[in-house]
Amino acid sequence: MTESPAPRIPLLEMKDIHQSFTLSSGQKIKVLQDIHLSLEEGEILALLGPSGSGKSTCLRILSGLIEPTSGKCFRRGEVLLGPNPDVAMVFQTFALLPWLTVGQNVAVGLEPLSLEPDEQESRIKRAIDLVGLEGFEEAYPRELSGGMKQRVGIARALVMERPILCLDEPFSALDVLTAEGLRKEVLNLWRSGKTPVKSIVMVTHSILEAVSMGSKVLVMGSNPGRIRLSVKNDLPYPRDEISGKFKELVENLHGVITEDLIPDTPDWVPPAMRANGVEALPSVHLNEVFGLLDRVHDAGGRADSFSVSQALKQESGQILLMAKAAELLDLVDTPKNAIVLTQLGNQFVQADVNQKKKMIRTQLEQLRIASLLKEKLESSPETEITSEECHEFIRELLPNEPAEKIFDSLIQWGRYGELFGYNSTSKMVYLDHPDLAG
Amino acid sequence: MQAPGVIQKRTSSKAGDAAVLLLIGIGIYCIGIAAREWQGAYQPSAEIDLSGNALIVYAFFSMGRAFLAYVLSLGFTLSFGYLAAKNRIAGMFLIPLLDIGQSIPVLGFLPGLVLGLVSLFPKTNIGLELSCILMIFTGQVWNMAFSFISSMKSVPKPLYEMADNVGLSKLRQFFRVELPCSATGLAWNSLMSMAGGWFFLTVCEAFTLGEKNFRLPGLGSYVSVAMERGDSRAMFYGAGAMVAVIVFCDFLIWRPVIAWTSKFRLSESHDDFQSIPFMTLLFRESRLARIASSAFWKFKKAFQRVPASRAWKPVRARRRILPASLERMAPIFIYGALGFVVWRLMLFVGGLSWPDWREILLCAGFTGIRVVSAVVLGTLWALPAGIVIGLSPKLTRWFQPLIQIGASFPAPMIYPLALGFFTFLHIPIQIGSALLMLLGVQWYVLFNVLAGAVTISSDLLDSFRLTGVSRKAWWKKLYIPSVFPYLVTGWVTAAGGAWNASIVSEYVFYQGHPLIARGLGALISESTSHGEYPRLVACLLVMVAVVVLVNRLFWSRVYHFAETRYRFER
Repeated sequence: MTESPAPRIPLLEMKDIHQSFTLSSGQKIKVLQDIHLSLEEGEILALLGPSGSGKSTCLRILSGLIEPTSGKCFRRGEVLLGPNPDVAMVFQTFALLPWLTVGQNVAVGLEPLSLEPDEQESRIKRAIDLVGLEGFEEAYPRELSGGMKQRVGIARALVMERPILCLDEPFSALDVLTAEGLRKEVLNLWRSGKTPVKSIVMVTHSILEAVSMGSKVLVMGSNPGRIRLSVKNDLPYPRDEISGKFKELVENLHGVITEDLIPDTPDWVPPAMRANGVEALPSVHLNEVFGLLDRVHDAGGRADSFSVSQALKQESGQILLMAKAAELLDLVDTPKNAIVLTQLGNQFVQADVNQKKKMIRTQLEQLRIASLLKEKLESSPETEITSEECHEFIRELLPNEPAEKIFDSLIQWGRYGELFGYNSTSKMVYLDHPDLAG
Repeated sequence: MQAPGVIQKRTSSKAGDAAVLLLIGIGIYCIGIAAREWQGAYQPSAEIDLSGNALIVYAFFSMGRAFLAYVLSLGFTLSFGYLAAKNRIAGMFLIPLLDIGQSIPVLGFLPGLVLGLVSLFPKTNIGLELSCILMIFTGQVWNMAFSFISSMKSVPKPLYEMADNVGLSKLRQFFRVELPCSATGLAWNSLMSMAGGWFFLTVCEAFTLGEKNFRLPGLGSYVSVAMERGDSRAMFYGAGAMVAVIVFCDFLIWRPVIAWTSKFRLSESHDDFQSIPFMTLLFRESRLARIASSAFWKFKKAFQRVPASRAWKPVRARRRILPASLERMAPIFIYGALGFVVWRLMLFVGGLSWPDWREILLCAGFTGIRVVSAVVLGTLWALPAGIVIGLSPKLTRWFQPLIQIGASFPAPMIYPLALGFFTFLHIPIQIGSALLMLLGVQWYVLFNVLAGAVTISSDLLDSFRLTGVSRKAWWKKLYIPSVFPYLVTGWVTAAGGAWNASIVSEYVFYQGHPLIARGLGALISESTSHGEYPRLVACLLVMVAVVVLVNRLFWSRVYHFAETRYRFER
């Protein structure tokens, strides 16, 4: 007679999940690859990643709103079909019905249950009390601030009394202070045990949010979305955001995310294109890059990307893309987590607009992708090609990258540097000032 | 925290009660006379009494028909629209079908409906009444259906996800999410649809089919008899009664409905609190109405209190009804079916000779020229007028109700007056019929331009004011480009409407004689009244082909261009 402890069945499990979408152009896009994860009772799982890493898709698969292309989801050991009855969801955009009052919006969560009116009333009242909306039962969503609206969203999720709470970037539409307050309240609610919520799955792009809430942080990477790292976070609640341990974890995670975008090697070329050295232009606007340069310049020519991301109120993934763009143009260097202006970068910040244009043009001509396009245009009749030809050209050079996005960046940067022009009506890409070329 | 509850003063008045009782009384009376009329012995051609007193009864008859047709339209819209929006394959069939349906003028439906329904109910008037209602329905239903489909498709995705997560059934999802999201669009389009139904009232209530004259007692018949006899006093009365009916419906039904649906808007702007419409005011004042409505809510609540035995079971994820390969085959079936229908119709019109066809195509050309001129002429005045009115909130407030009534008024009822004017100016009917089209379609242009002008942002206006550019530049650089997307919508509806209106504007009674302009519309009217069905079908085929092809090949491109180039970011 052996007594083996019965294996604990996780609340939720995702096994070998792949997800791809087909674009209207027929192109297939891989959104998620090889996702394995499990959610135990008492856990707060934080999915952390830049935009495009498929974290929201992941959340929708485990709540049964999307069927995965392949792989299976298990709810307490059983294959999940259709919407997961264990999950209550809170949405980034609140998903409130503007024609219903706060009370009625919360009541929507109970509608399929057909409860006795008394029980329904008391459950609604309890949920509204928990999130601090007493007195607002008769108000309409349009009369509430963003933070109050999200409270309604949370109350609607709580009233369903389901064991798993899914939060899809729940605080990103709110201002910083409101977000912080609400985050703490959600944590307190969960810890107080006044709700039947056993576990939470949240999606966020803020490292701070993930570290302050998650008992496990899953760092996701993009193209295609995958789990890069799983970090257990044992810091005791309530977490002290200025403690050394907390800061260290934030720094560590930051390092992990940054390395994905800017590996710390001297002759760095984007991984996708190591073979022929053609650069995949990041999809950022040059104006954003200029803003970053000014910021770094103001900070004395050197700043760390984390502080820049806080100062510019941009998510750190976006800052890193900007830094990558600036680095491609040889305007900054990126040792470790820092962004440092090059000599050219320094000149650039102080130049007037015409000098800037000239500098961008010179830098662009040194990029493989731009110089190849320039050659192509010069050899074309009337020095112009259609946008479709241009897409094809990019696809040949960079088969693994989204050609549309690179095209947009190429045109946008080329327009600024007066190297390329594009007529969106005739859909023709042409060489600007062909007389200057060559 | 203080609750923002509103304490409402409950006042009631005897006048309010009386008004509500009066409305109920009128309703019962109408049902009574309608029942007598419907059950009456079959009388294909009712005697029309041109006296003023009879007119009131006729107006109620016509209103009854229009509302029954509206109920049908609403039912059709909700059911077919739901299917077309939710099911991809059904949408592939239904949306082109709606497109074709809306390009068939009412006379195209007439012979089939009348001959079929009258033979179904040979003893009573029901067959004839039903076919009249169904003809009015064909003038109403299309834009309601299109509006509903497009709002169904633009329901924000998080709301669907929320409904799925909560576990709302498809039915609850419809009433909780989809229907409210579509309410505003449906209300506005109901108003437009009623106008579309009135437009062909004279044709729907009084028509000739082969050798037989059909006439139902109603406002449309009244006016058409007045036209045939050249009785201008009766024509004036008829037109006046029509205006009264339109104002009555607008005031008592559409305005309250639109005001009520404004609470279902998804946008969060605060400017939707307008003056309290008459009907809500009336109901707020009336104790009776309040008792009735509270009884209704109690009843509803009792009804909802179903036992909680039905355990919640998960709704299955949306799945394809058919495998992907079959879904890819669907277009082949659709084109196959379309080909079959066209082939059958070709067999039906096979008897027509080459000169017949040449005449039909020539006529289509003439009508086409008239349609273009009507739209161009309409634009010439309605574009500047719409912009000037739309830019001034004061003018907008004054003109909007007037324009609404103008647009709802069925132009054919005043054709004889316009023709009198044309004879005075020696304008021949060949040209005059284009002007008659203009009477009907100019409103579409005006309405849309006005809607566009209202949206021009005050920031843009200020920036132009500061630059101090010439008047010409204001129009060229700001006004016209800003309203362009709206103008295009106006053009599409105006052109489509003008093609349909050709059946009445190219074949008009003036002083007891028909005036006929050479064109497709006149040809359709003649073929119907002479009972030459192959020629009628051929004309309809040509008209549908022209309208659908021009929409698909020309307007859709202009529309896309306008939307991508000139639409402000929202």
